Amino acid sequence: MFETRNRSQRIFLQILLTVLVLPFLFPLIVMVQGSLQGQGWGNYRVVLDVPGLWRFFLNTVIITVGVVLLVYVVAMLAAYGFAKLRIRGKELFFWLLLGCLTLPEVVLLAPLFVTDLKLGLYNTYWAVVVPLAALQVPFAVLLVRNFLEGVPDELFEAIRVDGANAFGVFRFLVVPLTRPIASAVAIFTLIGAWNDYLMPLVFLQKQSMQTLTLVPQFFQGEFNDDQTKILASAVLTALPEIVAYLFLQRHFERGLTAGAIK
Amino acid sequence: MAKTSLIEGDVLVDVPSPQSGRARLRRGRSTDSGVRALRLPSGLPWILPSLVLCVGLIYYCVGYNGYISTLSWDGISANPPSVGYHNYTTGILHDPVFWGAIRHTAVFFVVTFVAQTFLGLLFAVLLHSKVKLGVVYKVIIFVPVMLAPAIMAPVFREMFSPPGQFNEVLHHLGLGFLSQPWIGQSSTALGVVAAITVWEWTGVNFVLYYAAIGQIDRSMIDAARIDGGGNIRVIVSIVWPSVRGTTFALATLSVIGALKTFDVPYLVTNTGPNDSTQFLGTYIYQMVVTLDHVGYAAALSIVLLVLSLVLAIALQVRSRRGKLT
Repeated sequence: MFETRNRSQRIFLQILLTVLVLPFLFPLIVMVQGSLQGQGWGNYRVVLDVPGLWRFFLNTVIITVGVVLLVYVVAMLAAYGFAKLRIRGKELFFWLLLGCLTLPEVVLLAPLFVTDLKLGLYNTYWAVVVPLAALQVPFAVLLVRNFLEGVPDELFEAIRVDGANAFGVFRFLVVPLTRPIASAVAIFTLIGAWNDYLMPLVFLQKQSMQTLTLVPQFFQGEFNDDQTKILASAVLTALPEIVAYLFLQRHFERGLTAGAIK
Repeated sequence: MAKTSLIEGDVLVDVPSPQSGRARLRRGRSTDSGVRALRLPSGLPWILPSLVLCVGLIYYCVGYNGYISTLSWDGISANPPSVGYHNYTTGILHDPVFWGAIRHTAVFFVVTFVAQTFLGLLFAVLLHSKVKLGVVYKVIIFVPVMLAPAIMAPVFREMFSPPGQFNEVLHHLGLGFLSQPWIGQSSTALGVVAAITVWEWTGVNFVLYYAAIGQIDRSMIDAARIDGGGNIRVIVSIVWPSVRGTTFALATLSVIGALKTFDVPYLVTNTGPNDSTQFLGTYIYQMVVTLDHVGYAAALSIVLLVLSLVLAIALQVRSRRGKLT
């Protein structure tokens, strides 16, 4: 975009970009460097030896998989219904869903707090999975519906003339067709669920149920504010996300842009 | 699949309906008018799960919030007394912490939105230019988006502490006179929260702008170049107007994001000092969990809900209107 007429201009751009990007790298350097102070790699060994660390990881995986699956199934069904089937008052229902799009999760706090206590859902995966999924579904439906509406009706008519019922259409046309947009949905749902902090903080008080985002607090208690161990645990919990991103880089970016650009 | 479900009663029907009528007309005009119109199956069962999950849970919560907000309640005791509108009128209206939170949210939104938009666009333009190792830069800018704010919080607490690495860098740059306890004083704590958020979210703006710029017609830019337009001129007159839709989408995201802010002020600055980094999210949390003022928290939640809906709709309307002119 920037036109560079000669080599010195090109070098200037490269330097400008490098200087601008340094602040983004800096906290990561601080994190890794801090985690290696004192006992060096020993910090990591101490952290990994803490019993129950894997439990946090496992809980996060269970919750994330639960949210992604729930959002995927519910959103795909709804998007097909909204895009290609007959519903009286369709747009009214759609707006009801879209009304949930801007909802800050903290708004759910007081009612869920009271309800979960009453229903005994406190300290269960459900207390976190269901509200997180409910918050993600509207955007997912919006994306997939838009995508499906771009598919010509003739395709759907053709397969139904061949005798497929609504379920057949869903199974053999909708599911394969929407694969690109579905991976986008899966990815932003995954980031949201994996990184969520508020819901586990409030609804998962029992330690054996807690998630990775609560690990720093756990280690603050465990190591009496020994910063090097806390930073080592931060590196360990950040690592899976960075590795996942590096491997799936293009999918992640496509997932993000899917919402804004058609 | 065709074998399993040949012509079912509810798929082929003769009853005229708006849809089937239209479908028949279309087909009649084109090829085979002999085929009977296919009536679309009802979509209601298909959208039902989403309605149960979202509308059921969320509207239930909103309604319940509305009800609790008229109570003076700790969330546990039976038969809480009703106080009518008092949580709103005598409570929120005269609550300096609430108004502080609103002020912080507004300042925070303006700062983060402007910084993220500027940086995101700049990175996008730079990486669309001829630079080497573009992928490396992209990864560095985007990795913060992936990392949970909760996991990074201890890093930032250490970094911005008085003997922390941020002050150290200032010393090395010869700016040692600027070093100060960034988190520990009211005047800078909000700035730290905003800076961390910019660090976390610029990647989103960058990726969206990068994609949007990729869709701009190159010939338009080439034409501007031939007319003698310089780099800045091209960005201001062509790139910026072309990515307008993206900017509005990002503005909407930023508004909602600002209203939702919780993790960073809660974990890094602990909403302090002296409530100087108190946001609506953290305030509601404190009211529910720490102070057991569930009724008041519900009233605050309703205010937050209305604010986010109104602002999001206003931005959408503005962005649509702009497109027509």
